Amino acid sequence: MLKLSSLRKAYRTESVETTALDNIDLQIDAGEFVAIMGPSGCGKSTLLNIIGLLDRPTAGDYSLEGREVARLTENELTDIRKRRIGFIFQNFNLIDELSVRENVELALLYHGISAAERKTRVDAVLDKVGIAHRAGHRPSQLSGGQQQRVAVARAVVAAPPMILADEPTGNLDTAHGEEVMRMLRALNDDGATIVMVTHSPAHADYASRTVNMLDGRVLIETRRAA
Amino acid sequence: MLKNYMTVAFRSLANNRAFALINILGLAIGMAACLLLLLFVRYETTYDQWLPGHETAYQVQTFHNDPENGRTSAQQMSAYVVGRTLAKDFPEIAQVAYVSMGKPVILQDGAATTAEVMMAERNFLDIVQLPLVRGDRRTAFRDMNSLLLTQSEAAKRFGSADPMGKTLSMVRNGKTVDYRVTGILKDIPRNSHIKMAYLVPFNPDLMGWQPEFYKAYGWNSGYNYVQLKPGKSFADIEPRLAAWEKRNIAPNNVGGTMVSEGDTTDWKLAPVTAVHLGPATDSAMTPTNDAKSITTFALIALLILTMACINFTNLSTARAGHRAREVALRKVMGASRRQLIIQFLGESLLVAGLAMVVALAIVELVLPRLSDFLGADLNLRYFGDGGVLLPVLGLTLLVGLAAGAYPALVLSGFDPAPVLKSNRSGTETASGGVARLFGAGGLRSALVVLQFAVSIALTICTAVVTAQTFYARSADAGYSRDGLLQVTGIGRKQIQPVADNMVEAIGRIDGVHGVGRTTIGVATDSRINTLVRVDGNPQPVLMSSYNVDTGFFKAMGLKPLAGRDFDRANPHDDAQFPEGDMAAQAALAGRGINILVNASGAKQLGFANPADAVGKTIRTGMVDEKFGLVPTTIVGVVPDIQLRSFREPVEPIMFVYDRSYMSDMVVRVDAARAGAVRDKVEAVWKSYAAQVPFEAQFADAIVAQQYDADEARAKTFAGFAGLAIFVACLGLYGLAAFTAERRTREIGIRKVLGARNRDIVRLLVWQFSRPVLIANLIAWPVAWWLMRDWLDGFARRIDLGPQWFVLAGLLAAGIAAATIIGHALRVASRSPALALRYE
Repeated sequence: MLKLSSLRKAYRTESVETTALDNIDLQIDAGEFVAIMGPSGCGKSTLLNIIGLLDRPTAGDYSLEGREVARLTENELTDIRKRRIGFIFQNFNLIDELSVRENVELALLYHGISAAERKTRVDAVLDKVGIAHRAGHRPSQLSGGQQQRVAVARAVVAAPPMILADEPTGNLDTAHGEEVMRMLRALNDDGATIVMVTHSPAHADYASRTVNMLDGRVLIETRRAA
Repeated sequence: MLKNYMTVAFRSLANNRAFALINILGLAIGMAACLLLLLFVRYETTYDQWLPGHETAYQVQTFHNDPENGRTSAQQMSAYVVGRTLAKDFPEIAQVAYVSMGKPVILQDGAATTAEVMMAERNFLDIVQLPLVRGDRRTAFRDMNSLLLTQSEAAKRFGSADPMGKTLSMVRNGKTVDYRVTGILKDIPRNSHIKMAYLVPFNPDLMGWQPEFYKAYGWNSGYNYVQLKPGKSFADIEPRLAAWEKRNIAPNNVGGTMVSEGDTTDWKLAPVTAVHLGPATDSAMTPTNDAKSITTFALIALLILTMACINFTNLSTARAGHRAREVALRKVMGASRRQLIIQFLGESLLVAGLAMVVALAIVELVLPRLSDFLGADLNLRYFGDGGVLLPVLGLTLLVGLAAGAYPALVLSGFDPAPVLKSNRSGTETASGGVARLFGAGGLRSALVVLQFAVSIALTICTAVVTAQTFYARSADAGYSRDGLLQVTGIGRKQIQPVADNMVEAIGRIDGVHGVGRTTIGVATDSRINTLVRVDGNPQPVLMSSYNVDTGFFKAMGLKPLAGRDFDRANPHDDAQFPEGDMAAQAALAGRGINILVNASGAKQLGFANPADAVGKTIRTGMVDEKFGLVPTTIVGVVPDIQLRSFREPVEPIMFVYDRSYMSDMVVRVDAARAGAVRDKVEAVWKSYAAQVPFEAQFADAIVAQQYDADEARAKTFAGFAGLAIFVACLGLYGLAAFTAERRTREIGIRKVLGARNRDIVRLLVWQFSRPVLIANLIAWPVAWWLMRDWLDGFARRIDLGPQWFVLAGLLAAGIAAATIIGHALRVASRSPALALRYE
């Protein structure tokens, strides 16, 4: 699915250069469920952002589905992102001014899909994550677990082959956290590649492989028997 | 505590320089515009208040209602006899003085010049108490040969020498009179309805008026000033004026119908301080203004200031989120809401104060130019009489409190718990709260709509006024202005003996295609009306009557629509008779005369088309009443030409070939070498009348001057429309910046979900263009109503078509889009990873 070779990311300020990612080599196959773990500041989210084409590496190569993407233009990246990648965030990142339905529909808005088709797909995915009955509500009227379900629905509505989840359970209680993990597991079972950043070893257990990071490097990779 | 507040306030400004700049600059421009306009409004509304004794001084004004078209023309002049009979009949009147203006030739050491000279009855200075800097006001104006002149005129005439006792000669009706300087008047300020540099006693012997002048109620060629007794006003007199008219005005017999001047005319007394903005605008010594324009300007001033305040309020509340954490912490530390309100009001007063300093700097820089431009004498003083220090302090306080009250209430009202718990900068939490307070930005959008409505309406007004002025200056007036030279002063007594020869000599100059004389030229003031009788019409018909000679129509380039031009060889065409020659008058009445009329005149007389009028005879009062009406045959009809302002319809005119009095000479010169030919005309003039200054102007220059006031108004509108748009854009820019910041996360999400940069730019530009488009819905009807009203004042006017409205709307939308597009681009190109990073 994707391959990172000698990937490096550094942030520069006027006087200091901070290395966020240092010489990362990582390959993720299609259909894998990979959990990335590590202490705060180890570069997990930076790695996820680069994988999600939200950020660019300072050096190294990134090949996604066989295509070198590290040096594509902004518009080309946008195009790949909207078709191939879905995002789930810790803080849900729903737009307060839009209803649940509109938030999910947003992911289809830039695909040139007709309004009728959008409605069908949004209804189907809302139904799938069990939030159809709150479709007209605003995010602020929902519980955290419900909001994350909306975020999951938004991430999958365009049927991307890869889903990136950045601490998707970080803001949720145990029960809601488990619920979201079960949803991700189901998506993976349906064929989606999932890359998830998490602090929770229990939730990492849902993945088929765990990548542990420290100070911008991959420390150890653990594969779980199927 | 205060120090802490001040520190926070200054740092808050320093940390957000762009917002501070927008806030201070926006308010400063609003305040400066407001101060400038209010100084102008104060200047316009305080005309003649500097005049000592203005409380009891009044001008008698004449209001003529034209029964033919229902229009009222109001003039500041009134007939000599009106002042006499008012003073006789009304005990409220302490005294009356008659004043006449003239432009005699002034001789000094052999050099001839002309100047506006006021001839006033010798009690004039007791009523209109113009201050003197030299001479005794009780005695200076007593002698028939006394002369008072203004300081600057005295300096011009006599340099550093003492002007008192010096002599100047003036030529009036061919008679030369010596005047001795007996007093120096303080220069008359520009904000006066009186304009003159020389004051001499009114001497009936020199005026050469016919006896009729002293009796006729319709002979308006001077001004009457009256002084009312203390405690009396016009209201005490007004109810008895109708009876006064009946008692004093004897009806005239016009061809068998008794007509009284009082039937169509009313007289009123206007306090001298109310003349400038009063309804009587004709025959004013200085350009008048109307109260409506002044109110409009005051309104614009307030609107621009309100817009600036709206920006301030909008931006402060929009940015409230940035201060949420500070507010929350202060509350946790024990600050009361009242203390916080005081803190934030203090901050807005600080900004208002800084803005006022900038505003005053702008005013100081702009005022001299604006003053020049408006032909006004605007000045900014801080202390003393008319000092602006107190109003400025008041305005600062008002703006600071008005603009800061709402943000202070919003900011001090934050609930500290969620702000602190959410381990965030506070932007999210608090601005969410603010957004809810505002009904999701509804109020803010409404305010943006309002601002742009004002800007668009002003832009439309600017466009329409400019277009109408351009139209009036350039539209076909019925005659060609190219190479048309108009020379005034041909009516002076000194010229009359040589006038015919001079005109012929000028006609022979190489490059002169035609020359003629007239009593109505391009934008000349004189108005001569007469009642004529038409067979079959029981009512007399009002016509204007002007003298022309046989060269006039050729020089103007006019060919008769029907009939013929005047012919010098035809004795019936010539209506001239020796002055006072009764036998000649009787003969004229017996044989009749020929006239030409213009197309409007033919219509007024009841002829459907020009050809019908030719050969028809009407009866006119050309000679003394005792000889009856003169049979007058129309021998030709000429096209209408627009000689006066486009504000007025073309008068129905009868033209009489009578060389006994002419006021102007028109010369058609070769346009390609107009300057050189003009010099030759001047040389010929000087060879015939060295004692009369040659005063000539080309027609296009005269016409341009006719609309100077309109152009100044258009430019003023344009200036303030520009300011309004600038202030509105400043606000829009600030709001766009803020919104872009507030929507960073949303934009990040949209980008993650596949929105391209141009999608984001389109989203933001549309969000801010929408209120501008809605603003058109408010601006268009208001501007349409205002401009229709203004254009109604013109007899010939442009169409109030949709193009002005659409253009202004597009302009505003374009400017608004340009204002926010930079922001939108910057925001759109930001990395979504940054936007979505959580802490």
